Amino acid sequence: MCVALEACAYAVTTMPSDLPLPLDGVRVTDFSWIVAGPQATRILADLGADVVKVENESYLDSMRIGLRQDPENPSLNRSGFHSNLSRNKRSITANLFHPKGREAVERLLAVSDVVIENYSAGAFGRMGFSWERLQEINPSLIYVSVSGFGHVGRDASYGTWGPSAQAVSGATAMSGLPDQPPAGWGFSYLDHSAGYYASIAVLMALHHRARTGEAQHVDMSQIETGMAVSAVPMLDYQVNGRSYERIGNRSRYPAVAPHNTYPCAGDDRWIAIAVDDEAQWASLCGVLGLDALCDDPRFADMASRKDHEDELDEVIGAVTLERDPFDLMIALQEVGVPAGVCQRTDDKQERDPQLAERGFYPTAPHEELGEHRFEGLPMQFSNARWRLDRGAPLFGEHNHAVMTELLGYDEEEFASMVSELAI
Amino acid sequence: MPNSDTDPAEGPLEGLRVLEIGDLGEVAGKLLADAGADVIRVEPPGGGRSRHVGPFVDDDPGQPSLLHASRNTSKRAVTLDVTQPGGIEIWQRLVGLVDVVIDATTPTFLDDLSGGWQWAEAQSDLSDCVWCSIAPFGRTGPRRDWAVNDLVQLALGGPMMSNGYDDHDLPPIRPDGEHSIAMSNEYAVSGLLAALWMRNAGHTGQLVDVSIHESISATTEGAFPNWEYFGRLVQRQTGRHSSPDPTAPWQYLAADGEYVCLINGGLPRGGSAWSGLVDWMDEHDAADDLRDAQYQELLFRDPRSNPEGRLHVAETIGAFVQSLPADEVYRRSQALHFAWGIVRRPEENLDDPHWADRGFFWEGELPGVEQPVRYPGAPYRFTRSPVRLRRRPPLLGEHNYEVYVGELGLSSAELRGLLELGVV
Repeated sequence: MCVALEACAYAVTTMPSDLPLPLDGVRVTDFSWIVAGPQATRILADLGADVVKVENESYLDSMRIGLRQDPENPSLNRSGFHSNLSRNKRSITANLFHPKGREAVERLLAVSDVVIENYSAGAFGRMGFSWERLQEINPSLIYVSVSGFGHVGRDASYGTWGPSAQAVSGATAMSGLPDQPPAGWGFSYLDHSAGYYASIAVLMALHHRARTGEAQHVDMSQIETGMAVSAVPMLDYQVNGRSYERIGNRSRYPAVAPHNTYPCAGDDRWIAIAVDDEAQWASLCGVLGLDALCDDPRFADMASRKDHEDELDEVIGAVTLERDPFDLMIALQEVGVPAGVCQRTDDKQERDPQLAERGFYPTAPHEELGEHRFEGLPMQFSNARWRLDRGAPLFGEHNHAVMTELLGYDEEEFASMVSELAI
Repeated sequence: MPNSDTDPAEGPLEGLRVLEIGDLGEVAGKLLADAGADVIRVEPPGGGRSRHVGPFVDDDPGQPSLLHASRNTSKRAVTLDVTQPGGIEIWQRLVGLVDVVIDATTPTFLDDLSGGWQWAEAQSDLSDCVWCSIAPFGRTGPRRDWAVNDLVQLALGGPMMSNGYDDHDLPPIRPDGEHSIAMSNEYAVSGLLAALWMRNAGHTGQLVDVSIHESISATTEGAFPNWEYFGRLVQRQTGRHSSPDPTAPWQYLAADGEYVCLINGGLPRGGSAWSGLVDWMDEHDAADDLRDAQYQELLFRDPRSNPEGRLHVAETIGAFVQSLPADEVYRRSQALHFAWGIVRRPEENLDDPHWADRGFFWEGELPGVEQPVRYPGAPYRFTRSPVRLRRRPPLLGEHNYEVYVGELGLSSAELRGLLELGVV
């Protein structure tokens, strides 16, 4: 077992490029923005789909100006946040207020398998792309919409961002200590999960179309992605009449202890330890030098440890505070006790030998941002690859290629579209 | 309800056959089963892990587990101890029946018994098989065999250091609900459906090796670019986004003791929303000096301009919402096009008519409970091929006869023999 903690030598992307891409040949017209939609099309593009991002300054993806390298620089191509979300995609700019710009988008839709957007419910229809119109343009086009509350239902006009979707769904309330306010999620978790589910929805709809020839609209709600993973408390309420109560980092089901985070030496350093049986408990006591605890009747078995959990956590925390979190994690793993440092991003990117060996942070170039690492796709195929060819496209970078090679415009037509600001 | 037990329409994955084994892939199996795939969950004769984890019906461990119920709708279930003599041969024959195997056992378990991916890959008649492995760290790497659970995975993967409180004497927080399973299983479904797509285009089947650690590591939003591009670490804050530098509060306790979430601390994104908000505050004499031109100006300029002024606006809005009931804050702000939320406990959504309008909850049977229950459904409404509850969660071994005799071709006597030997 490799337990070295020194900086790992990161493998550059080594995926053999002669392996096929699973979604080669699938084309997606991508009207998505911010995080939820782009997270979905990031997965599809990593898997090889030709994702064409349709952009315009009048409906600019604000990620292009979020976390910019140098905010004084007006370039729309200098956000690493955006680059990580939209790598492998192509970008065209289309002015929907110009008939030629609209026609170009309709031509793109006509040669696409999927169109995806995550505007507020109804907005895409107001842009001229109702489901009825989409079917006229291309009867085999699959349409996936992602909005906070979905397109159907009493409150469909309500809007969400990740944190308010988390609040309504129950995900915020399920995070935090029992005697404190909800901690919630410190990022837009439901933007990620809406993207994960939207990717699934696209693939399921493609399978259905392949089998039956039938395209369809899939109406997704971001809040429902949070509710779908909060099923246990909803059933518990109906069946046992119990309202949800926060539990911090402890475990109510199964009722095991110790199961918590404990402070370690260093600035804001914490380790998670989760004991599942008596053998692990004895091993933990040994590693912590607390053998006497094993004989303490308060901690003699799982049920008594659970009954005395406050005292138990206090005793353990007093010892872990003196220990280096990584050394302690490795000592515990060597005797089979589930334990893990609460890793920061630098721990993952610079010092996690598992992520290093699996090549999880491959690098790719970007014209304005240079060579950078990207988060990988968390899977490997035996007979295919996912790709990381390049960072996000420059704003409108693929206008010429898409218009002339894909949509059949000649050079003269392309030039007039540019001069008329149609694209 | 549009999505109900009796709806005859076929799901998007109609015709797909799936075997699911191990304890970390139940959500992936459920997503496929609700979408119309025939998913057979294979459990040891004593039942998989989730059947033994509470809460249970009536809090009685002899009754069905609600964790199991939540993850196993629409599936069939058989029992099989692959470590018993003859067990692995039965497993191998089951693999021959399906398109997809979800293997969420430990990475070497089935291969050591000659019934894993390495075995399947060598069988010419299984060349179409998509084998999706879901494991804590994937099937390779120095930490492949580390001991983990949901808490440890969410610690190692990074989300916890973004979740918690302004007070860093309080620990990083793991949200309840086994999200390590959700994140990895959602990725796994995309991966295996992509592999199936490829197979249907004429390629062979293959191994899809999903790492839970990587799935979580990919689910931390701004933490990654902050480090990669700026060398900054995000710091956790109470009820709002983590950030390299402290930001104004977003979460307030409303007058009725419920919390509300004000995106961006309540600051509006446009002029019409701003005037609507100030009018609303005026109704309660709470607008203070917010009509002052300096605030108008600062809101719609660079977000880094005039931090003191922005903080004053946020604090004034915060004081206002604390004087009202949470539901009023939620509904009125939404009517004014602010994307604010109310912090609900999960069960509070059961009676919100919006979700009934969408058919989100699926009414169905839960063994041990007299009345039908409402299962949280799928977050996508397929308008032509509904994703829906196809059957209630299966009892342990409920489909042994149907599968082993009806589909695998064992005789009743053979099945009885296997039962007596503890193989099934």
